[in-house]
Amino acid sequence: MTPDSWNYETAADLDLTLSERLKHFPREPDMLVYGTRLLSGALLRTWLCLYHRLAIRGREHIPAGKACVLVANHASHLDTVCLLSALPISRLHRAFPAAAKDYFFESMPRAVLASIVVNALPFNRETNIRQSLALCQRLLETPGNALILFPEGTRSASAELGEFKPGIGLLLAGADTPVVPCYLSGAHAALPKGKIVPRPRKIELTIGTPRSYAHRKRGKDSALEISADLRAAIESLRDSTG
Amino acid sequence: MSPSAALGSPIFLTYLALAVALIVLGGIALLVLKLAGRNVDHAWNSYRGWLIMIPLVFGAIFLGREATIVFFTLLAIFGAKEFARATGLYRDWTMMGVVYLSIIACGIFTLLPAMNGAPGDYGMFMAWPVYAISAILAVPIVRNRSKGQLQILALAILVFIYIGWMFGHVAFLTNTDHPYAYLLYLLFAVELNDVAAFVCGRLFGRHPLRTNISPKKTWEGALGAVGFSLLLPWILYFSLPEFTPFERVLVGLIVGVGGQFGDLAISVVKRDVEVKDMGALLVGHGGILDRIDSLIFAGPLFFHMSRYFHGL
Repeated sequence: MTPDSWNYETAADLDLTLSERLKHFPREPDMLVYGTRLLSGALLRTWLCLYHRLAIRGREHIPAGKACVLVANHASHLDTVCLLSALPISRLHRAFPAAAKDYFFESMPRAVLASIVVNALPFNRETNIRQSLALCQRLLETPGNALILFPEGTRSASAELGEFKPGIGLLLAGADTPVVPCYLSGAHAALPKGKIVPRPRKIELTIGTPRSYAHRKRGKDSALEISADLRAAIESLRDSTG
Repeated sequence: MSPSAALGSPIFLTYLALAVALIVLGGIALLVLKLAGRNVDHAWNSYRGWLIMIPLVFGAIFLGREATIVFFTLLAIFGAKEFARATGLYRDWTMMGVVYLSIIACGIFTLLPAMNGAPGDYGMFMAWPVYAISAILAVPIVRNRSKGQLQILALAILVFIYIGWMFGHVAFLTNTDHPYAYLLYLLFAVELNDVAAFVCGRLFGRHPLRTNISPKKTWEGALGAVGFSLLLPWILYFSLPEFTPFERVLVGLIVGVGGQFGDLAISVVKRDVEVKDMGALLVGHGGILDRIDSLIFAGPLFFHMSRYFHGL
């Protein structure tokens, strides 16, 4: 007698080497990685709190138990860790900051940091943008997942808010996903592009009210409109905080 | 076992010299084949893997008993992780936590002295599956679950018993009167048995051994390896001088037959789960389990045979 087969759910990255596994996405849950991420998350939170006196306003605007997108201005590597700190630490493994594949996933040390500490989603910003957006879309199908996006596409060299790429609009048009605009100030002064050692500057994170673009039609025009609307929302957060 | 004891042990030094000689000979053979225009890429990957593994193993054994026990316990833990990743058991973190802790406990009983002061708590080590299986069976009860639990329980018990406890016997060899002789003999014999099976299979292989498990293995390779392993206790006579001829035959069969059963046992799992290798840690070798598969089977048999005839 042969009983019905068991259903083995083999890890999807079983035949990959350790370095290939870092770049593989979605990641398989790994006890060691989760432990390291929790520990480094706690340390980074303490660091931001003590060294940068991180102040977070409007934390309650982030929808709990629902998939959501956080968008923010980008002027420093600290931005990502500040936004992660705004989420409860239990949600750390469900938060995916989109990170440039060409920058974060080509060199080994950066890939280790991006995949283990930050849990970054490798975003291909040069080719196959549609494919990367489809990956984002798939993540947002799971309730509780949080996607962190910087629509400027790169760190701004000054503290000024740059132009927003239309990709964010393509992702959100017609999608029933709340998107939360966030504004970060002080991160650029603390760790601008090109610097390695952060300076002890105060960082403030203001989180606005969630928006939805479920009623928008998919298409290039609405994508541009959505990008412009989000940029305006972040600008008004900047102006309201002075 | 300690660095100074290792340097003062003719057995350790002989095996070290043997390992260096094999590495050099292997390198020369590869070079000659390459110069002769043969494609040696696959063999070269495998060779590079050995260049990493051999110093690691000798390093741990050189450092002493504690380092050796920690080394083999880590192999067991990461071997268990590979098995769990292949079978899907790793998705159940609570069960995996119990399995990992049980394996660590095996390492601790190997390390700590027994009540009577002997190195390694043999009694507790041998009794540990009773406690570990009780703990594993308690997991679904405490969590009030039944759906799919038989599969999880069966896999967890198999992982712990086979990769944790049975493989843990290899580390327990450090507690015998002849740690260098027994441990290094076992490691050499098992790995050379693998090589002999491969070489004999390549040279004379005609008749498939187990078509549904590992289609490339042949009867010629298997019998050639058993023949080689039966000779090895006489070739490495210095390592096991107290063994009688009968015991040497037993050692030869344990390594020759047991080693290949170990290989096929892991192949059964790989075939059923439908994976090629258990992991991709070392290019050319696959995962940890692909490397230690023969050792898991032959190690505990060798341990209990030597204990039966010669004590700890």
